[in-house]
Order: sequence, then structure tokens, then C-alpha cells
Amino acid sequence: MKRESLTSGALKRSRWIGAKAVIAASLAVSSIAIVGLGSASQAGASSKKFSIAFVVGAEADPFFQSMYVGAHAEAKKLGVTLIWQGDPVDYSPSTQIPVVQQVLAEKPSALVIAPTDTKALEPYVAQAIKKGIPVFNVDSGDANQKNITSWVTGNNVQGGTAAADALASALNYSTTCTSASPCTVAVGVSSITTSTDAARLKGFDAQLKAKYPNITALNPIVSQSQSSVAQQGFAQDISAHHLQGIFAIDGTDAEGAAAAITAAGSAGANIKVVGYDAYASNIASMQGGKIAAIISQQPTLEGKDIIKYAVQRLKQGNAKGIPHLLTLANIVLTPTTSQATLNKYVYTAS
Amino acid sequence: MSTSIDTLESVGPSALKRLQSIVGNQQFILLLVLVALVIFFGERNSLFFTSSEFSNLLIDFSGLALIAVAETYVIISGGIDLSVGSTQAISGVGGGFAMQSLMNHHMSETGVLLIGAVICAGIGLVVGAVNAVLITKANLVPFVATLVTLSAGAGMALVFSRGAPIGQNPEAVAWSATGIGPFTWLVIIVISITTILGITLHVSKYGRNNFAIGSNSFAARAAGINVKRHIASVYMLSGILAGLTGMFFYIRSGAGSPQVGASSNLVAIAAVVIGGASLTGGVGRITGTLLGAGILTIVTDGLIFINVQPTWNQVVVAAFIALAAVLQSIRPGLRS
Amino acid sequence: MSNELQPIIELRDISKSYGSVKALIDVSFKAYAGEVIGLVGDNGAGKSSLIKVISGVHAQDSGHLFVDGIERHWKSPHDSMEAGIETLYQDSGLAPDLTIGANIFLGRERRRRGLLGRLGFLDQRGMEREALTELEKVGISVPASKRTVSQLSGGQRQAVAIGRAVMWAKHVIILDEPTNHLGARQSQEVLKVIAAAREQGLCVLFISHTLPHVLEVSDRIIVLRLGRVVRDSPTAEYTVESLLGTITGLSEVTNN
Ligand SMILES: Nc1ncnc2c1ncn2[C@@H]1O[C@H](COP(=O)(O)OP(=O)(O)OP(=O)(O)O)[C@@H](O)[C@H]1O
Ligand SMILES: [Mg+2]
Repeated sequence: MKRESLTSGALKRSRWIGAKAVIAASLAVSSIAIVGLGSASQAGASSKKFSIAFVVGAEADPFFQSMYVGAHAEAKKLGVTLIWQGDPVDYSPSTQIPVVQQVLAEKPSALVIAPTDTKALEPYVAQAIKKGIPVFNVDSGDANQKNITSWVTGNNVQGGTAAADALASALNYSTTCTSASPCTVAVGVSSITTSTDAARLKGFDAQLKAKYPNITALNPIVSQSQSSVAQQGFAQDISAHHLQGIFAIDGTDAEGAAAAITAAGSAGANIKVVGYDAYASNIASMQGGKIAAIISQQPTLEGKDIIKYAVQRLKQGNAKGIPHLLTLANIVLTPTTSQATLNKYVYTAS
Repeated sequence: MSTSIDTLESVGPSALKRLQSIVGNQQFILLLVLVALVIFFGERNSLFFTSSEFSNLLIDFSGLALIAVAETYVIISGGIDLSVGSTQAISGVGGGFAMQSLMNHHMSETGVLLIGAVICAGIGLVVGAVNAVLITKANLVPFVATLVTLSAGAGMALVFSRGAPIGQNPEAVAWSATGIGPFTWLVIIVISITTILGITLHVSKYGRNNFAIGSNSFAARAAGINVKRHIASVYMLSGILAGLTGMFFYIRSGAGSPQVGASSNLVAIAAVVIGGASLTGGVGRITGTLLGAGILTIVTDGLIFINVQPTWNQVVVAAFIALAAVLQSIRPGLRS
Repeated sequence: MSNELQPIIELRDISKSYGSVKALIDVSFKAYAGEVIGLVGDNGAGKSSLIKVISGVHAQDSGHLFVDGIERHWKSPHDSMEAGIETLYQDSGLAPDLTIGANIFLGRERRRRGLLGRLGFLDQRGMEREALTELEKVGISVPASKRTVSQLSGGQRQAVAIGRAVMWAKHVIILDEPTNHLGARQSQEVLKVIAAAREQGLCVLFISHTLPHVLEVSDRIIVLRLGRVVRDSPTAEYTVESLLGTITGLSEVTNN
């Protein structure tokens, strides 16, 4: 259980991982330009104020954009300077490490990092600690947590459990899925080796087994972070089985699922899709009736809380009263969720 | 004064010769494999023989066919184009932005898609032209040149789109399912383009030049063929076809996704190799490539169809490429 | 032999370098129709470089090339072919993966008649058939037409390449080591083909290291050494020994 929680957030933004291999070369150029732009927009450092360096992976991802909104607002409220950094598109230690080195050279008061690898960033964390800079984790965590003051993250296993509940309720489980005629659902993941996907799938499967024995989950489609690949796979499941539902484990798979049931016409009309991540496109699909429910993480809250704890640590000089690990529950959004709530959780691409 | 310069060594045992010529007819073997696969999957789940599944297979085949044809031209000419995958992404995203603005101006769906197709093809042409310049002017080897555009294209697609699908167009998805029986309009268009390019490769002077250049570019140049211009045109053709594939996936998924086609360059190359083309150039057939693409499509889809563990999919595809390599090595007539 | 006033080919002070390597230095000579010129020299003397300038594969750095009295500047080998000059290159001028017929007609493909032809369809069968008959006409017969060149023996390939040059040449045939890969009997056949070409009034530039062959078939021999023409005399004035001496530079025979 411990191990699980250590790695579960590590490769969170799985949709970027497939792309990373492909774009390495171009990033050599573009990352310099865009990191440069990013640093230009940060507030000017004042010597009196605390400054908190905040390094994410794949900064352009709406997930991290939402995190920025929370972190930025909290930093403003508490009167600290936020140094927000991260490669725009690449979720990988090879691009993250230079960014960390650069922000450490600016001598921030604290470092918040979403490590793109559980191990690779550790030497830099140690380096920061040695300079007296406390280090915090957000979203993903370092393998060695004893150097980390606090880690705020989403709970992927709980998200998977919530997805199973949402799917069962969308299917109207007690009347539709009986032992005489069980329900069949397809599952789409980005990669079966990504810990995030594995944790969500684990929660989903366990909940089906425990509470919904009359739902059979097919072997997962592996989309490699490509919605077109997910779509092709779901189309196969739709024509091979009398499919009632789909659990799309991330935004890319949800896109693929929505397109597959649209293209399937009448065969896809009654298939209930539960998706993951409150991307604007997914919310739009839900409002258009293509997605029955979305499991949302809380990146804004993650960003807000970690800044709160960092400032608390800086002000009081120790970690008293700061949780070492805070796991935020995932939220279930459905078509009946109020617009205000949707607005709150949608990942903003600001 | 007709004399004979005849130093042909005596032909080996005729039985071996005949075996070689049957095995060497790779097309025939591929056809058998394809039929066997269909029977296998249908045997496991008879729904495989339904018209809706046939339609699925045709669409998935079409998503691969254009870039496989492009890759056939390129590989026969002695090159390779790694950028066909990311070109789909950059043209789908670029086309997505353009179509979004057309939709905002309330243009008719048909108009949006037609203009979108032209824009996607245009973006593909630009990528192809960059490849052409890198190869024929900067004298980079095709592998390196197209690796550069592969990386640049994928990076640009992600940066411009910020990772999100561009130009949401659910109407396009609905249209993608229409057509004549299992043959959707998309499939019909792709098959038409494929047929024309296939015939061109095998009966025209352009196609003949392509083989000659891949076989011996010095000989081609000595015979008066403008080799550089031809090579440039091949990469531009490949770019256009990849751009059109970007449009294909825009229509199919109802948006231009920056991740589309990420690994499809390798699948396309695999289809060409399975189809019997030589990576050193000069050898290949469109029918072989299409059979290769068909086999890869059926394997990929069929394994999901019969609910096999996903890890097996890649293993099986790898096995088919290995099979192709074996078939190539026992093909007769590859001296020197 | 040089009984016509106008040389079909004339080179004046042709020089050519590859980077720091001076392959040709101020090469000048004239060649006439109906004449076989032997071009000899040691390995690296510049023979292939010279004929590549004449055929348009390389451009000279300086000097002038005249064909039929008119100065020409080739942009590509295609230009020289248009001017009636055919070349058999030392380093394989054939595309091994193409059929014999496709090679013979490479760069000169014919379309089918009718609508299909107008759509760009090539007359593949017609070309294959004609290739065989044309090859036979110039004294070369090869087996089955549908074979690719890669399926032929080294000698057969050479035969196809020679046949192609002879078949299309209108004024000049350049043969760079055509007897490579050939046995004694086949070499004799090549010499016959060369003689026949002369009968037809063609000018033949014949490069070979087999000096007896050169002495047997040529009317005039030009010796290159280290990129320069060191001797240009009628064949009758050479013996095997004197030729060898000139090539190696051991017995200096001045030509000026
Ligand atoms: N493409 C090239 N690039 C650089 N140097 C070259 C090139 N081709 C020929 N050379 C050099 O130019 C010189 C003349 O070469 P060339 O091929 O003309 O000789 P040759 O007389 O035909 O020799 P051989 O009898 O071996 O065929 C040699 O020193 C050779 O190394
Ligand atoms: Mg030579």
C-alpha cells in the first residue's frame, strides 16, 4: 500500500508520455524559448517576500494550468512570490532536471515539485535540502519521502472506485445487469505500465468485483495516449460484444470513446461512458450526452494546498501541523452537476 | 553477326526453382495469411463476419493505407520517411484551427471539410517540401532529414494545440459513418487515391523512374533522369498523403488531435516491408503493401475483437514483421 | 582515319579537380566519326573522369568541349544523350532491380498507344520485346526478357550495358572498360561489336587495361598519365612494350 501510494502519482500526465519520445529533438529548441516566456510572466522577486519555486512537468497541460490557478491565487493571497516553471509539453526528467537546476540557482525560499520520475529528481531535492530549501511534492511524489516536507496528491485508486460506482449508476445496475444477462464494459487505458492508469484500473476492478459482480470488464484497450487508437479499439469492442459501458481512464481515451460511439450510430447510442479528467472537451462531450460521468482530479486545490503548506513551513520554521501526505479525493461530475460546480472543477487552460 | 554472350550459370534443380518461385511470390503467401487470419478471428467470434465489423476494418485499413502507399514510393526510391506520423498531427491541428474558424463563420459542413482537406494536404506538402530541401539541397540522409521533421512536427502540434484536440466537429464523425453499405465515403475516397497511385507506380514513367533511382541512382542519372527533382517530388507526395491522413483522422474523431499518428510511421513501414519491398530501394509492389496493411489491420483489430490481453498485440505484430523478413531472405534473384 | 575535316568531338584544355585531387590537367584531343580511339592509362590516371566530362556526369573546371564543331555545356547526362553520345560507365550504369527491357529503355520510355498511353501508361511489353530484338541486332543475345538485371551474370550485365550504348548511339559511343567481367571469348565479341560500330560510322572511345585488345581494335591511342595526355598517336606506332612504357612513364616518348 505504501509503495503503491509512492508511485501512484509519479507518471500522472500519461497522455504526455507517449508524445515525449517523439518530440525530444524539437524541444531542445522550443523549450528554451517557452521556458523563457514563462519566466518573463512571473512576478518580480522582492527580497523581503518569500519566493516559492514551483516546477511541474508538461506545463501546457490543462491539468497543470489548473494547478497554476490555485497556486497563483494562494501565493497572491499570502503575499509570496511564485516562480512557476516547467517544460511546456514534455513530461520527462530529462527536460525537468535543467529547469530545477535553474530555479535553484535563483535561491528560492522553498521548492515545490511534481517530479516526472520517482528517482531521477532525488539528487536535486537533496541539493536543495542541503542549501536549506524545504522541498514539497505535488501530484507525483519522490520515491524517497523522508526529504519531503509535504506531498499533496489525488487518489487514483479511489478515483477508479468512484468510476465503477458512476458507471454502475449510469447503467442502472440493479435492473440492467443481472446474473442472467450480465453487463459488458470496455476499458481504455493509455498504457498498462503507467502507475496512474494501473492504480485507477485497480480501484475500478476491485470495486466491480466487490459490488457489481454482474459487470464484466473486457481486457483494456491500450491507446498509447492517442485518441484515434482508443477509438479504433472501442469500435472493435462495440462490434464484438453487446457493450453497455466504457470506462475511459484518461482524457485521451474519453475522446476516443466519444468518437467511437458517435461513429457507431445506433449500436453506440446506449453505451454509457465514464471518463476521467475534467478537460473542457470532456465536459462538452458530457453535456452533449456522449459521456455519462467524469471523474475529476482537483489540481486547483492541489496547487492551493501545497502553497499554503509551503508558506506555513517558511513562516513557522518547522513542519509542525503540516500533513506529510494529503490525498485529495477525486470528484464525480455528471450531467446533473451544477454549472457552478463544473466551472470550479474544469481544468482551465488559462 | 549475331553472337551470344551467354555466361548464365546452369540453372539449379528445377524442383527447388519452382519452390522458390512459389515462396518468392510473396503476394500469394500474404493473401493466404490474410484469409487465414479472417477465418481464425471469425471462427473465434462469428460477429467478425458482420457488415459493421467489415466496415470497421475498412476504415482502420484506410487510416493506414495512404501513408503506407506514401512509404512505398519513398522506400522504393531508396529513402525512408519517418515524418508521416507527426505530419498527420500537425496537419490535423492546423486544419482543425482553420476549420474551427470556418465553422465560427457558419460555413456549411461540406465547405468546411473540403477546405479542411485542402489545408491539411497543403500543410503536408509543406512538411514534404522541407524534407525535400533537407535531402536534395542540404544532402542529409533521408532518415535524419525526416527525423528532424518528425520531431519538429510533433513538437509544433503539441505546442500550438497545447495538448487539446482542435476544431471540435461532431458532425464530421457522423458523416464519417455514411456511405454505400459498409463502404463509407472516406473509405471510397482513400481506395480511389490508393488505386490511382498504385497504377501510377507500376505503369507510368514516373513510377519507372522511382524504381530506377532506388535501384541505382547513378544509373538513373546517367540515363537522363533528374534524380533530385524526382526525389523531392516523392517526399512532397508523401507529405500530401500524410496530410490527407491527418484530415482522415480529423473527420473520424471529430477534432484534430496533436497525438494522432504518433507511432503510425513504424506501422506504415512495417506494412511496406511485409509487402515485400526492400529497404535498400528498387523493389516493392503496391499490392504487397496493401496486403501488408490489411494484415496488420486485421491482426490489430482482431486481437481486440476476441478480447486478447493487450500485451500480446505488439508481440503478434512483431511476429508478422519477422515473417516478412524471412520471406524476403528466401526470395530468389537477389544477387550482388 | 581522320579523313573528315570536322571532328565529332573536340576537347580543348579540359581540367578537372576533385577538391585537391587534380584528375585532369589541360586535356586536349580530337575524335572523328568512324574512328576507334583507345584511351589508356594507369589506375587513377583520369580516364573515367575524362569520359564523365564528355558525357555530362561531371562539369569540367576549365576548358572547352565541342561536339560537331559547336561548343557545348552539359547540364546533365541527359544533354549528352540528346546529342547522340552514349556511355557505358565503368561502375555499373544499370539498375539491377529493373528488367533488361526497362534498363535498355531507361530514360527513353515509350507510352502505349491510345487512351491508356495518353493517361501515361507505358508500353512495357512492346519495350521488352523490342529490347531483345535490338540487342540481337547489335550482336548481343541475352536470355528471357522479363528477368531483372540482378538475375544476370556479370558478363550478361555487361553485355546488356554495351548493347544499350550501341543501340542508342547516334554519333559517339564511350565504353569504359567494357571487357570487365568478361571471359576471353566474350571479350572478343565485344571487340567485334566495337568494330561493327565503326563500320556504321560511329566514333568509339574505348577504355581498357587489356592492352592487346586496345592495340587490336583501335585506330589511335591516347595515353593519360596523372591527368595529362602524354601521347596521342596512331595505333600502328605502338607496340605492347612501348605502350606499357608510356603508361607507366618508364620509357618517356615525347609527343610534342
Ligand atoms: N568522385 C570523385 N571524388 C574524388 N576523387 C575522385 C572521384 N573520382 C575520381 N577521383 C580521383 O580522380 C583521379 C582520377 O580517377 P579516375 O576514376 O578518372 O581514374 P581512372 O583512370 O578511370 O582509373 P581506373 O583505371 O582505376 O578506372 C583519381 O585520383 C581518383 O581517386
Ligand atoms: Mg576508371
